[in-house]
Amino acid sequence: MTANLYQPINGQITDVIDESPTIKSFVIAPEHDFQFATGQFVELTLPGEGEAPFTPSSSPRIKEKMEITIMKAGRVTAQLHGCGKGQRVAIRGPYGNGYPIDDFAGKHVYIVGGGVGLAPIRSLFLTLVDRIGDFKSVVCRFGARTPADFIYKDTLFGEWQKLDGVEMKLTVDEGNGDWDGHVGVVTTILGPKDVDIKNAVAVVCGPPIMMKFATVNLLEYGFDPNSIYLSMEKNMSCGVGKCGHCMLGKYYVCKDGPVFTYAQVHKYPNIWE
Amino acid sequence: MDTVFIGRLKSLLDAVAEQMHLYVPRKVDGHYVCVGYDPSVETAVEYNTIRVCTPVKEFLFPLRELAAVFPEPVAPADVRPFAVFGLKACDLRSIEILDKVFLEKDFEDPLYVARRENMFVISSDCTEPGESCFCSVLEGKPYAEGGFDLNVSAVDDGFVVQAGSSKGKRFLSEHASIFGDVPDALLAERDKNRAGVQASLERINADYQLGGASKDAVEQGYESEVFDEHARTCVECQACTRVCPTCHCFYLYDTKQEDYFGKMKMWDSCMRTGYAEVAGGGNPRKILGDRLRHRLMHKFVYFLERYGMEMCVGCGRCVDAEAGDMDIRMVLKRLSDELTDKGKAVAKKAK
Repeated sequence: MTANLYQPINGQITDVIDESPTIKSFVIAPEHDFQFATGQFVELTLPGEGEAPFTPSSSPRIKEKMEITIMKAGRVTAQLHGCGKGQRVAIRGPYGNGYPIDDFAGKHVYIVGGGVGLAPIRSLFLTLVDRIGDFKSVVCRFGARTPADFIYKDTLFGEWQKLDGVEMKLTVDEGNGDWDGHVGVVTTILGPKDVDIKNAVAVVCGPPIMMKFATVNLLEYGFDPNSIYLSMEKNMSCGVGKCGHCMLGKYYVCKDGPVFTYAQVHKYPNIWE
Repeated sequence: MDTVFIGRLKSLLDAVAEQMHLYVPRKVDGHYVCVGYDPSVETAVEYNTIRVCTPVKEFLFPLRELAAVFPEPVAPADVRPFAVFGLKACDLRSIEILDKVFLEKDFEDPLYVARRENMFVISSDCTEPGESCFCSVLEGKPYAEGGFDLNVSAVDDGFVVQAGSSKGKRFLSEHASIFGDVPDALLAERDKNRAGVQASLERINADYQLGGASKDAVEQGYESEVFDEHARTCVECQACTRVCPTCHCFYLYDTKQEDYFGKMKMWDSCMRTGYAEVAGGGNPRKILGDRLRHRLMHKFVYFLERYGMEMCVGCGRCVDAEAGDMDIRMVLKRLSDELTDKGKAVAKKAK
């Protein structure tokens, strides 16, 4: 008998971390070790209620638990926000391709992230940092609506800023009294001289409007469309390229993505919607 | 013997029904539907002239099914062998298409596998194409050349039965006593009948014949206004995707029962407004014309690129079913004509 594609494995929420007014991270312990590659996603089920796709934000090195950072955006995410420690959940996956980390070796990795888009980026960042010597540099440009909207504040404002081989700039759309950093949307902290573009790959993840304008900037700076990696947010449901909901042109985002190069998807309409 | 003769269809169906549950066509209000076969009723035997109204996918990928049970997994109920009589060449092509999706290596759908393995396919030649049949436009034929266990062709005074698989051959040899030999004259008659039906199909579709490959017409017509124009006559009833034997979109949803949680799998339709919408409200295909274009692109371009065959068999069910006026043959024809005209314009300019 063929293994059931739709069968989830059971798990439990073991911790909940408030990240921002609308975002929480859930630490989830699956009933057995769970292996994924950074950038792959899972379908998280709230039993009896529904499931939704999320890219784990934790390091794939950790197999006995994973973190999933969730913004309250729809029916299932709102219900998940109401859940606490001990809540039974279920997980299907991992699905999709993840980031091609090995292809990044020997290059600058230029990461542009915004809002809850830092969730997949955190997993990628932790993976890169584990083998930081393999890359020329890791250059991060992260934005949030306000200082309070940044997620992973402790590490983002702290140890991540001090890591060897990492250069990081943060910005907020609107500052407040305590914020002495840059104010402006994330594209205002991007620059053509941030990295040696011919020896760099770019990774973009965030709200669609941010991804759109960041990509426009990167192309203007001279990034090759094949070197711009986008995490596409579509309505992934089955996870195995059958149900059709996440189709982006000929691609099933769940199976062929969720990470695509701009070169792969640019010809399709409404990719940012 | 791979090809035999039988005088009465009922003898064949009775022999099948002795071994497994059998579905047969029955005409109801001018359409054929599939019903369970009752050998005790003499009038239960009908030779359907064209495809039944409902899509064959119902047998392999039902409208709604329980896809998974948790936290304690439960093995799905065993599927018993079953047979379907009266499938047509377009139906067999639709099974081939569904196989590509649901039997895909490393991504096999166990629910589909179980039904597919237990299905005994008995096809039959079309004898009177319907007004909406357009398989010939897409290089289809009104008779099956493969993909069946048994194929039945009506001839004078009886039926030619051909085995197309090891299961079919075994059936013929196990029931050798009810079959007779096929003289060459009967095979010639079968070929003549087939050619006749093919010719009438081509007559019916004379106005819809495409100037080139459907892929080129749809792909290069991507920016065409045809999609938006035809969308104006579509009332979004979604009937086209429901009756389509190749459309296989589905929706997974969760249920809570007394002693288990379930994941249900149910047909969905890419023509539905919220189909591709994400939780944040983004929707790449808010506009009906965009959804229509996507459906056609999926059928004639994307699926072909991925699996090597078109995802339309020309059965015409969508033409019959739609509540509005959105004829896929017209959309294809107009796109094809636009492409031909474009080609002519370019050639003229070059001169």
